[in-house]
Amino acid sequence: MAESSARRTAIFGIVATAAVASLCAALPWLGVSAYLRTLLYYGAYYLALGQAWNLMSGLTGYVSFAHGALAGIGAYAVVIAMNAGLPLWLSLLCAAAATALASLVIGLTSLRLRGTAFTFATLFFQELVLLIVRKLPFVGGPGGIVLEEILPAWLPYLLMLGVAAGATMLLLVIRRTRTGLRILALKDDEAAANAAGINATRLKLILFCVSAAIAGATGAVHGLFASSLFPNVVFAVDLSIVALAVPLIGGAGTASGPVVGALLYVVIREVLQVIAPGMHLTIVGLVLLVVILFLRDGVVVALARAIRHRRALPPALAIGPEPR
Amino acid sequence: MTLALQLIANGLVVGGLLCLVALGLALIFGVMRVVNFAHGEFVTLGAFATYLLVANLHVSPLLGIPLAFALGAVAGAVVQRAIIARTTGRPELDVLMTTYALSIVALGAFSQAFGGDFRSYAEGPSGTLTLSGVTIGWRSLTVLLVCLALGGATVLIMRRARIGIALRALAQNRDAAASCGIDVQRSELFAFSLSVGLAAAAGSLVSLIGTVTPYVGHEWVLDAFVVVVLGGMGSITGAMIAAILLGLVHSVASFVLDDSWAKIVAYLLLYAVLLVRPQGLLGKADG
Amino acid sequence: MPVLEVKGAHRWFGGIHAVRGVDLTVAEGELVGLFGPNGAGKTTLFNLIAGAVPPMEGGIWLNGREVTRLAAFRRAQLGIARTFQIVRPFRSLTVLENVMASVPSAMAERDNDADDAMAILRTVGLAHRAHDLAGQLTLGMLKRLEVARALALAPCLLLLDEPLAGLTTAEISELLAVIVSLKSRTSIIMVDHNVRQSLAVCDRAVVLDSGSVIAEGTPAAVRRNPEVVRAYLGEAVTS
Repeated sequence: MAESSARRTAIFGIVATAAVASLCAALPWLGVSAYLRTLLYYGAYYLALGQAWNLMSGLTGYVSFAHGALAGIGAYAVVIAMNAGLPLWLSLLCAAAATALASLVIGLTSLRLRGTAFTFATLFFQELVLLIVRKLPFVGGPGGIVLEEILPAWLPYLLMLGVAAGATMLLLVIRRTRTGLRILALKDDEAAANAAGINATRLKLILFCVSAAIAGATGAVHGLFASSLFPNVVFAVDLSIVALAVPLIGGAGTASGPVVGALLYVVIREVLQVIAPGMHLTIVGLVLLVVILFLRDGVVVALARAIRHRRALPPALAIGPEPR
Repeated sequence: MTLALQLIANGLVVGGLLCLVALGLALIFGVMRVVNFAHGEFVTLGAFATYLLVANLHVSPLLGIPLAFALGAVAGAVVQRAIIARTTGRPELDVLMTTYALSIVALGAFSQAFGGDFRSYAEGPSGTLTLSGVTIGWRSLTVLLVCLALGGATVLIMRRARIGIALRALAQNRDAAASCGIDVQRSELFAFSLSVGLAAAAGSLVSLIGTVTPYVGHEWVLDAFVVVVLGGMGSITGAMIAAILLGLVHSVASFVLDDSWAKIVAYLLLYAVLLVRPQGLLGKADG
Repeated sequence: MPVLEVKGAHRWFGGIHAVRGVDLTVAEGELVGLFGPNGAGKTTLFNLIAGAVPPMEGGIWLNGREVTRLAAFRRAQLGIARTFQIVRPFRSLTVLENVMASVPSAMAERDNDADDAMAILRTVGLAHRAHDLAGQLTLGMLKRLEVARALALAPCLLLLDEPLAGLTTAEISELLAVIVSLKSRTSIIMVDHNVRQSLAVCDRAVVLDSGSVIAEGTPAAVRRNPEVVRAYLGEAVTS
């Protein structure tokens, strides 16, 4: 029965995610090279950010260009909190909360409207945050800020794995919750969803806040990793591009899409580092273009379609538009 | 009083340029329901084309304006046919991301080809004109006049020419327009080419009064997006009014505070408008 | 107290006066048939009652409570459920999920779980397709899914917009039987162009023409009303 196979796939996904995350977590103690560890860290970083974007834009179809800036807010927030003497767990919490709060600027003004208004609101948010951060006195201005405490290298590594794994599991599980159903119903037909009693605006708002909080947490952990933050780097539009490219290339709306996308992106970056440094965003843009035009719905979904299953793909993995 | 006039004059120049860029954006959105995130790259194209023309051939940059327009229109036609036309009928997310991906690729190409240097040239109109206490450079005046001319021409086309009426029909009701015998594909091609041609012409004008970098189009188009949203998506008149308004706001805010604050004010204004009047100045309210 | 009261509702779309001063009352357990030629304003009236479109004049009360300015989803949560003339299923969800996505109104005891949803599907005869994607169903089944989704709200007022359109004769009889059986749970307003069959099952008929109510009463009386005949056929015809 399709119902229990969907549950089985979801459970399999959660177990697999936990297993992979645990394995990666154990690697530093298994004598794996620092280079590989750094690669894995960045893989987890892009995956976490991608899943945060996916949670909002993949599930609702409302494209966000602000997730890089949201992560940046998380990074600044955690450094400010830690420098102020707050314990690590509280600092991280504050970072996520601050980011969720900041996201309300976008959410409250634009989520009542069509998707394009939201997309523009996120586009401007990115710029606005960069401008403001350069102006504000207590965040160090153009010179940036530095984390005063020195943290062990494995700490951000483990934390980032945790965020990435957690976000992926959330995506796996959400399809099976009633809220997840209503979000997908919203994406399919907002008018019909309204007629079915679904409060579309509130749902979108909550989803975006959660998505922002995850982005903030991701940025916060990376802030701990990088430890010195410069606004021009932290709030560069590059990160927002990565946040959307990773899920879109892999498969937006699916839990596994961003995993594939993150892997691909890390590989592309490493390869290009040698051949043509500085071109990685351009190549990503090209890949994205090709994927959108020829591999509808991303690598994962296109692959699944090519493997010609008789019955519909188990909902837990698909979590997206039905194969066309 | 002179100060006010001066600020207004400055604001009009910026507003005029914004008008030209935003006009194209509004047209593309109105007719094709496509948000052209690659619009800025056409501005950059026009700017670089004019710069290269002047730097290598030492001719008047005024020649660069029609050249840029033509180049932009042709490039736009190619892009529309080869890429954007493929996305008709696809969900909004796909279409949005197609133009965005294009902009990333184009920006990367420009950066690779030209590097981050600031480029400018001295050729072209020079000196200033003083009218009742208001000083305006000849270069700026040229920009304003060309914007007026091109903007006016576009509005005339939209109002009077056959293709303009066809485009307006398409914007209002796609299916009805098609069943009236309007060639949808050709109209869209025209709309897109015209729009990005205008953007490229704007880029040419920008090269006259500013520096040329791979990011120059990107900066202008961000403001153009503010204008389009402010004016009401798809409303050309709304975009034009909003462009002038934003130009004036920029001018005043830059004088009173500084450039960065001017931008912050503009964005906050936009969010406030979205909160209070989400459809923009002249857009259609939902329901 | 009537379930629904509409008083003096007006709605314009540009120059078109789609609904002109319509008064409508629906009692508990009643099945009201809404008739009229194309363009009479039936769907607009539905949209006004359901909250998809606000009235420009007039008021709407549900069980004595004014709902005129409430958003569509709020009215759904108060118990106004509607189906759409052109079906709007949630295509990427299964049939069961479509029903479970509805947010039950205040009338329901709790949110629908899978068992409740299956029971609703059994009522409309779709239980055997529960785990198929909605996008794979035939039109007849989709029409039934619309009804199921509306029922999941536990409504006190059900608005059916042409539920029988496009169905085979057998499907029409089946669905009509289901609709009649729902009278014990909720009041119903039904629009449909299958006049003969719809008139046969409704308790009261209301006829619209050009936005106004031109006739109201028992099915028999309305059928004989010359105004009604003229509206549909354009001239007096002896029946």
